[in-house]
Amino acid sequence: MIFQYLPEPIDDLLSVLGYWDLMLSGFIMTMWLYGIALLMGFIIGLSFAIFRQYGGWILSRIATAYIELIRGTPLLAQLFLFYFLPYSLRIPIVKWNYGINFVLFGKDISIILLNHRVLVGIITLSLNSSAYQAEYFRGAILSIGTEQLIAALPKYTVVVYFIGVLELFAQAHNIVAYTFVSLLTYIIVAIIFLVLITTISKGLDYIYKRTSIPGL
Amino acid sequence: MKRCFLLITIILLIGIAIISLGIISYIFFPFLFNIFIYILVSGLPHTLLLTSIGLLGGFVLGISLALMRIYGSKELQWISSGYEKLFRGVPLLVLIYIFAFGIPGIFWFISPLDRSLAAVMLALALRSGAYQSQIFRGAILSVNLGQMEAARSLGMNQIQGFRHIVMPQALRLAIPSWSNEYAVVIKDTSFASGIGILELTKSAYRISVIYREIPELWTLSMVFLTIIYFLFTYPITRFFGERQTKKLKDLGMGGG
Amino acid sequence: MGKPVISVVDIWKSYNDLNVLNGVSFELMEKEVKVIFGPSGSGKSTLLRCINMLNPPDKGEIYLRGQNLMDSDVDLNKIRSRIGMVFQHFNLFTHLKAIDNVSIGLRRVKGLSKEEAHEKALMALKSVKMAEWADHYPAQLSGGQQQRVGIARALAMEPDVILFDEPTSALDPELIGEVLQVMLDIAKSGTTMIVVTHELGFAKAVSSEMIFLGEGVILERGTPEHFFTSPESERVKKFLKQLEVLYGSHEELLKL
Repeated sequence: MIFQYLPEPIDDLLSVLGYWDLMLSGFIMTMWLYGIALLMGFIIGLSFAIFRQYGGWILSRIATAYIELIRGTPLLAQLFLFYFLPYSLRIPIVKWNYGINFVLFGKDISIILLNHRVLVGIITLSLNSSAYQAEYFRGAILSIGTEQLIAALPKYTVVVYFIGVLELFAQAHNIVAYTFVSLLTYIIVAIIFLVLITTISKGLDYIYKRTSIPGL
Repeated sequence: MKRCFLLITIILLIGIAIISLGIISYIFFPFLFNIFIYILVSGLPHTLLLTSIGLLGGFVLGISLALMRIYGSKELQWISSGYEKLFRGVPLLVLIYIFAFGIPGIFWFISPLDRSLAAVMLALALRSGAYQSQIFRGAILSVNLGQMEAARSLGMNQIQGFRHIVMPQALRLAIPSWSNEYAVVIKDTSFASGIGILELTKSAYRISVIYREIPELWTLSMVFLTIIYFLFTYPITRFFGERQTKKLKDLGMGGG
Repeated sequence: MGKPVISVVDIWKSYNDLNVLNGVSFELMEKEVKVIFGPSGSGKSTLLRCINMLNPPDKGEIYLRGQNLMDSDVDLNKIRSRIGMVFQHFNLFTHLKAIDNVSIGLRRVKGLSKEEAHEKALMALKSVKMAEWADHYPAQLSGGQQQRVGIARALAMEPDVILFDEPTSALDPELIGEVLQVMLDIAKSGTTMIVVTHELGFAKAVSSEMIFLGEGVILERGTPEHFFTSPESERVKKFLKQLEVLYGSHEELLKL
């Protein structure tokens, strides 16, 4: 009954926060995508960096072409490309998924960690990240973008929203649909990303300081 | 001068290659050729519009923030630093949605049809401003301190010294990073498709909708899309990236 | 006798806890050439930058033709346009041709028209024998040529005095002679100069007084004859000996 007397913004805030379970599942999805893409990107990127440096004439050219191609085209275009590919090749899409469910504070939380859409997303993000990480290994300090992509990768996981994966931003949409509170929801999501990215950046800075050799 | 001729020659060669390729595809693959042209023509205007406004806005913001951070008071420095952190930590898509759907009254002076465009332009400019601020800050700081000393010893004040001596050199030093930023912004315009703006990505996506009975075309349209974007990014970043740094070093302006 | 061009009265300067200048005073008359020398770290560069107020002293006074530069209502930019400076590392504006390097002060600070500034700049370049290189960029010039352009840049402003901060220290040995020759010529034509250097041949040829600066104070001062025949302190004797051994006096380079 008290809720009648609360000012509107607080009322809105409370209703949005009521869907914390959606936000949490979205956040976990985002972190999951980030982690896998970072890891796979590292492995693939390192391989391509090695090919580029030590591969023969053909291999290094291919590696360079791959890297420049990925860096020169938008992540979204790459995502759509990989998403449409099985359809175009007439590969039947099997509906499979693998997820986790748990209960927290009385709410059911269920996250689909892997299905064919998530897989497409992971592949795209990993390949994209690998190209930038390969540049990083090459020591391309000139372009500011390289260092950013490790700390900034969570921002780019948002792109999978376009193919229906329920990461944080997609969940924000659901919350807006339920509560009709658009501005506050998006701002909360923005803040979550901000805190996440800043933390990762600070963490990276800390690691750099710890492992840096004076004079290098 | 020689640099200009080289650039013009390269552009001419690329143009000739594209035209010949176009003629061949038109003759042998007219249908596909039409699809490619459709994507290009319906999407390119908005993509270029968003890119230029975003870059321009980011430029003005970036220079101001860089100046604030280098020459400003502690408060200004704090604001500039905070701004950078803010707009580098938030995904562009979230920013676009905040401006397009979150804040209803913000574009009251713009017709409703153009409001989503304005939202994207604002989001792009704000984001680019944060990155350009870092670019210009780095460029300004790598101009030799002795330059400003010499300027002041002639009698120029700080503003004159900056405007005539430091800034021209900083701008030249910033070119490689700036060409990279251009590439980032034009790629980011693809997110505008999320709120219904008909730019390149949305045009390509529409092919899959129009020709939903021909799945092969869906991927093909995306391949065309990536080719188009690549043509708009790679030549520029390649030319203004490495070449420029080498030329700059030759002229002794390589940050030292 | 006339009034002194520059009067330095008991100036003190320290950085953090390091005392760089501990009470330095001297006067510079019209057409006089003073040479300041001493061990590195003795504050010579700092002294010059105090005189043109690029880095004002903590205590004491500096007078330019009777005007106290430490006054708060003095237009320091205007003052600096009357005090020329030639730097150890030249500090030429890398993005400008030689002629523009020399003319920019005339245009932006003295407000001359483009044609007038160009005229005067060309004349200044002629006097340092660099007129044929007017359209070259600094990176295309040798060290000695760059420094001569630097001297022209200072000369063109027609200052009351020109300060030289170790003008030949950064030059390859073969290039020192051409710069010293130019400095000699302008000294002989009556330019008022303060030169920080260890080029003893130059000092012997044109300086009216030499000042030995050590630990932030004037340890000894006198005419060149005084220093080269009978210096007072052992310290100075040793230092002069070291300089001769290390650098020679380059007398053979100068057409006296």
